[in-house]
Amino acid sequence: MGHKAVLGFVILSVFLACKTGHARIKLVALPDRDNAVVRLDNPSATLVEEERVLLLQKGTNKVDFAWKGVRIDPDSIRIQILSHPRDVNLLSVSYPPNEDALVWEISSPQAWEEKIRISYILYNLDRLVTYKLLSDKKEKSVELQSYLVLRNLSGEDFDNSVFTLDYGAPFMTSIQHEGTKQMLFLKKSGVPVEKSFTFDSALLPWDPEKVEGNVGIPVKYIIKNDRQSGLGEFALWGGKARIFQDDGSGTTIFLGEDNASFVPAGEKMELLIGDSRDIVVTQRKMKDARINIRRNTTNGIILYDTEEIMEVKIENFREEAAVLTLIQHIPGQWEMSETTHSYEKEDANKIKFLVSIPGKGKETVVFNYNRRNVR
Amino acid sequence: MKNRTINLILFLFLAGSSLLWAKIDLVTLPERDSVQMTIYNSADITLVQDSRTLTLGKGENNLQFSWANTLIDPTSLELFAKTMADKINIMELSFPPRVKDLGLWKIKSDVPGKAPVEINYFTSGISWRAYYMATLASDEKTMELEGYVRVTNNSGEDYENAKVRVIVGKINLLDEIAALARRQYPYGSPLPVPYPSSSASTMMRREVAFEMKAAVAGAMDMSLAKPKDIIKEGLSEYFLYTIEGTESIPSGWSRRLLSLKQSDIPVVNFYKYEEERYGNFANRFISFVNDEKHKLGKEPLPDGLVKAFRKIDKENHLSYIGADNAKYIPIGEKVELNMGSSLDVRVEAKMMDYRTKNYLFNNSGGNISGWDEEKSYEITVSNYRSLPVRVEVLRNFPHQYWELVKKGEFGEFEKVDIDTVKFTVELAPNSVKKFTYILTQFEGDRRQFR
Repeated sequence: MGHKAVLGFVILSVFLACKTGHARIKLVALPDRDNAVVRLDNPSATLVEEERVLLLQKGTNKVDFAWKGVRIDPDSIRIQILSHPRDVNLLSVSYPPNEDALVWEISSPQAWEEKIRISYILYNLDRLVTYKLLSDKKEKSVELQSYLVLRNLSGEDFDNSVFTLDYGAPFMTSIQHEGTKQMLFLKKSGVPVEKSFTFDSALLPWDPEKVEGNVGIPVKYIIKNDRQSGLGEFALWGGKARIFQDDGSGTTIFLGEDNASFVPAGEKMELLIGDSRDIVVTQRKMKDARINIRRNTTNGIILYDTEEIMEVKIENFREEAAVLTLIQHIPGQWEMSETTHSYEKEDANKIKFLVSIPGKGKETVVFNYNRRNVR
Repeated sequence: MKNRTINLILFLFLAGSSLLWAKIDLVTLPERDSVQMTIYNSADITLVQDSRTLTLGKGENNLQFSWANTLIDPTSLELFAKTMADKINIMELSFPPRVKDLGLWKIKSDVPGKAPVEINYFTSGISWRAYYMATLASDEKTMELEGYVRVTNNSGEDYENAKVRVIVGKINLLDEIAALARRQYPYGSPLPVPYPSSSASTMMRREVAFEMKAAVAGAMDMSLAKPKDIIKEGLSEYFLYTIEGTESIPSGWSRRLLSLKQSDIPVVNFYKYEEERYGNFANRFISFVNDEKHKLGKEPLPDGLVKAFRKIDKENHLSYIGADNAKYIPIGEKVELNMGSSLDVRVEAKMMDYRTKNYLFNNSGGNISGWDEEKSYEITVSNYRSLPVRVEVLRNFPHQYWELVKKGEFGEFEKVDIDTVKFTVELAPNSVKKFTYILTQFEGDRRQFR
């Protein structure tokens, strides 16, 4: 740290006569940067475009571009001639030894001002997106705010530069090396929110009573990135989301946080807020018996089915009703023979029940299935 | 005497100086109007809501907020106008380079004058926990339950006259707030950057805490005058306890508050015997339900250690029974507190007979392919206490292929799951009951051919 960004820009006007490449002379002219555009549309690399005006002499000019202490990808540097693209030619690019610099050789038919655009990939200048969701007291809708955070550790200072994203209007701001800046860029209120509770039998303990400490049921907030939600104009980038709730007394409480993944328009953003400890699920296997046994001539078992009965007790200690998503895993070849509740097949070995439990109520899901075993 | 580490400075924006915060003139230093702390216990995080009144000029204003030697998460900083939100625009929050623990808000105001604002942030270092004292009546039929909340402030910041709220529940948190507070750059770095050496800041923190202790004694004395009410309310999947009035909790101090006191709660005393869980002793349990019938049920009980005592005479002398870490108890749920192994209620399980029979032989070599194991168990349940007791005897079998024959005073019988059964025996004071069960386990092909 402590190094200061130096983006030097030096023009060496070299007369055709003295073509000898002796020691590199510096400091002839230092044209000001006109318009810097920082493009943050690619999450893995930041592209900077800047325009400068060169005072070219007639003949071959050497333009020295140096980036000491600035994290520029040297192979990504490009130059575009803007004022007289037909007449002014880039002859060569050379890199001096042990320096963060390059020299452009530019030929010009006459002495004039030439506008050029330089672009390069700049490392360590990036953006994050963060979200803040503020739910109403009843958890029916949220105010969604999204912030853009610029982090600059590139070594370069940007004063009054234009930043563009993959959506929305470009904006102008300044950010210095080692600076961080946070700006609100999206605010939508009245976004409908759905709350979901999920018990996955492969992830959570079956008998919470036998577990040290508390077993909670994961609770998610789900919002849809679509028109009905007042969103859907563009994909929502992934980033940390913090969820708050109006506490009804003019302030808020913090409900939890999660990393939102990239959400294309039309898709759902799912955020785990925390655990519900007021829904208790106890799962027990009540039967696991072999039936339909087939044997070979030496009386060895070659084929059998198992009859398995699973009992899942769901207690809702909350005042409000809840819908629990109950995920169950049944390996191998199986067939359901009887269930108390209907289910959906998620894949060959995963089924999903949506169980409604009234407030202060109880519900028991029992399902009976046979599995085929071949030896 | 104040040792305030959070500072708020409002600057009038000077036209022309783009981001040179150091060159901006100071205008006002607004004091705190009120502050509210919402403290979580599932993670080290506290939401601070700090209300102040700014005097804004028309146009662009800069507000500098600094928090040296505290444990504030800079990514959580948020400022908003409590009134005229449409006329006061919070444009951006920047963290200037090479300055630690400092943020600068750019505020554009259409109206000059006083503007009440709220600054929200997360801090680490403030915690709370719940614990309980249960006192059983001498007949052990009822108990008195006292619940406490203890709030501790190690945040580095003194919170004076703060409204204190605590949250019961488990939130999802991705990062530790303390780690976010210690980062070199507020939102981290795209590069892996080593942490700055912490020795200097630790030293400073200690120094601050020391000075604060001396400054605090007076404030503590005054606020101990009367016990405070705690208002409880369910929000989302959590429960919010709001402590009446305000509290001053300087850094380094903690405060105990009574959150619940209820007497004459009916309780059930019972004993459980399950070798696989508790060894060869009966464990004593105290059970009640968090509902209205048990004079509770107004709020869930946060997890915490319950210490149980028993009144042993008319002078209310106490005897200590034991302690258990109670899990979170929702409204309406039954609680079973394990007081540990008991010496005056005993269960003895003895295998009295063992035999094998009903052999099956396979066709190929004439080897044994199936058989039955018959085990006879005698269970003796002894109550050496002068009170009646209930004892649950749980028996786990090695697999699900079994049959059971029961004899004697086995009380209630229940199949718990495929390989567990439960006998529930009621015993009069100073009495013994005995029962026998014969367990037949089917092995090998006998599981299918019976």
